[in-house]
Amino acid sequence: MDEIQPRLVRCFAAVFPNLSGDQIAVASADTVSAWDSVASVTLFAMIEEEFELEIDIEDLGELLAFDKILAYLNTMTARTVKGHSFDSWVQ
Amino acid sequence: MKLIEALEIVGKKYSADAETLRVSLVCGFTPLHFQTFLAAELRLVLPKQHVKIATGLYGDFWGNLKKTDGSSLDLGIVVMEWSDLDPRLGLRNLGGWAPGDFPDIIANIKLHASQFLTSIDRIAREIPIVVCFPTLPLPPISFSPSGEANTIELELSVCVSQLSLDVSRISNVRVVNAQALDRLSSLSDRFDVKSELISGFPYKLSYSSTLARLVTTLVQSPSPKKGLITDLDDTLWSGILGEVGSAGVSWDLANRSHMHGAYQRLLHALSESGVLIAAASKNEERFVEEALQRPDLVLPRNVLFPIEAHWQPKSESVTRILKTWNIGADATVFIDDSAMELAEVKASHPEVECILFPKNDPQAIYDLLQRLRDLFGKSTISEEDRIRRESIRSSSIHSDANGGYGSVPSDFLAQVEAKVTFTCSKDPLDPRALELVNKTNQFNLNGKRQNEVEWQRYLKGPDTILMITAYQDKYGPLGKIAVLTGRMKDKAFFLDTWVMSCRAFGRHIEYRCIEKLFNLTNASTIIFDFEPTEKNGPLCDFLGELLGVTPTGGCVLSKEQFEKKQAVVFQQVLETSHG
Repeated sequence: MDEIQPRLVRCFAAVFPNLSGDQIAVASADTVSAWDSVASVTLFAMIEEEFELEIDIEDLGELLAFDKILAYLNTMTARTVKGHSFDSWVQ
Repeated sequence: MKLIEALEIVGKKYSADAETLRVSLVCGFTPLHFQTFLAAELRLVLPKQHVKIATGLYGDFWGNLKKTDGSSLDLGIVVMEWSDLDPRLGLRNLGGWAPGDFPDIIANIKLHASQFLTSIDRIAREIPIVVCFPTLPLPPISFSPSGEANTIELELSVCVSQLSLDVSRISNVRVVNAQALDRLSSLSDRFDVKSELISGFPYKLSYSSTLARLVTTLVQSPSPKKGLITDLDDTLWSGILGEVGSAGVSWDLANRSHMHGAYQRLLHALSESGVLIAAASKNEERFVEEALQRPDLVLPRNVLFPIEAHWQPKSESVTRILKTWNIGADATVFIDDSAMELAEVKASHPEVECILFPKNDPQAIYDLLQRLRDLFGKSTISEEDRIRRESIRSSSIHSDANGGYGSVPSDFLAQVEAKVTFTCSKDPLDPRALELVNKTNQFNLNGKRQNEVEWQRYLKGPDTILMITAYQDKYGPLGKIAVLTGRMKDKAFFLDTWVMSCRAFGRHIEYRCIEKLFNLTNASTIIFDFEPTEKNGPLCDFLGELLGVTPTGGCVLSKEQFEKKQAVVFQQVLETSHG
């Protein structure tokens, strides 16, 4: 869980290499000019690969800022962890 | 490679002196992550090049191909998918999949096929091209159950196979091997429906990475190994010769030793494509000769040269074999069923690739055969490949005459009926020239290696001269053994590249080359771009002999100087062609 933020920062840094760490923390599609449709597709593909999850198409339109993506990942990861725990009880 | 790693590689700064590599990526899909992976893979294998990939419009494969102008590029990469052949074969187009639409789809593809051939042929005249034919699964167009082959799918497959075959015959084109791709990625792991719908990018990330890596290996393939040294007992055949005798060793199904026969078959095939094969065995020589005389041996006896059969350490056998072949240890593979023997050879020859022969594991032997194919793989088999073994045998006769570089006596040279041929044509480009440049160490002006893209870009220069020298004598042809390139400026010729195969040492061919260069260019001086390397002592010695002083870097030789030092030459100039 603690690793989510630095890993997400690394994803942002790869897609937006000109942003500083501070700028990444407050980045959004509205404030970062390089955040176009290609950057979005690249960023989400990378996040899916990096965090081994699939982002629902319906959710994509909401995930246009660093803090929103971070919150989404925290929620998704918590669900996954809970699911794994349940699976292990069943076994 | 992960996407984040690819982006980080691509994002690294280039050095100030990096040359731009202009690549055209022709595809009909949004290039997105494939472009990123491709850029990253190219950067890894071509670290000194600033890779710039140009792409075209989404959905316009044919327009993008038509607009590709080889004269302003260094490399072309063409990735075709089914939807490029007919949009109805893609997911984003809702055109018909009814059986009545099939004839029109096939007709459309046949129409595109000739257009594709024409375009690829045009572009390949200027730059090297890598072509990848459709690799995604076909959409569910067929009315038959998916387990049953349908005529439409088979017809599509035939069309693409025929097109692949035709394209692969075009010089300067390399086609991605679908089977190699299948080994790396299963068909079901390739298509990303969501990505295709959202962005028009059809590949899963892992598949994008795999495909980009495979394409890159075709752009910059590693230098193939040149020689293979094999053990005999429990390797070339099953059984210990000293224990069971020549009649007791086997390589057949009846004796459950068939994979040794398969290994022999591969060695024979490698030999026919120019690979040198030798044997190093701890055995009595007479027993080995007896076994090698068996008529059912799959590997003909004469393929093995030389054969080291005795009880001395195998590292010493390898040393002698390398000396006879006159090739580097790094171009050699040693195969033995004993880990101890491999370690002993490796300790003395760390650059030799030592591979264990897995004698009791048929699957592992089969995998070894594939690995050997890759280690010795090359795009084409040249005339030089075909004659290499005999040429080495004949070189050993020269060497025996008075061993070593530069010391073959004149009376011997005078009776060998030598002939040299100079060819100065750049069109079509002879792939042997670059092969020689990249594998020659000892008689090499500066040790500079070039990839295909750099080589073709250099030779595109209108003032650049390429001279290839071939040699033959009464002992047989050596084939094309020397390459010189350079440019004229005023009355000086700037010699940028000069390599000569070590097999041609000691025949004074180097004098002939310089003489020819002065005559061909009418230059008053030749300026050598010489750089000393760890291995180019023979060329350094030759220049030292001409100049009267050992060169330490670039040096100048006047025509007068050369004429004073010119050695007696015995070769007849057979023909000279100019392009």
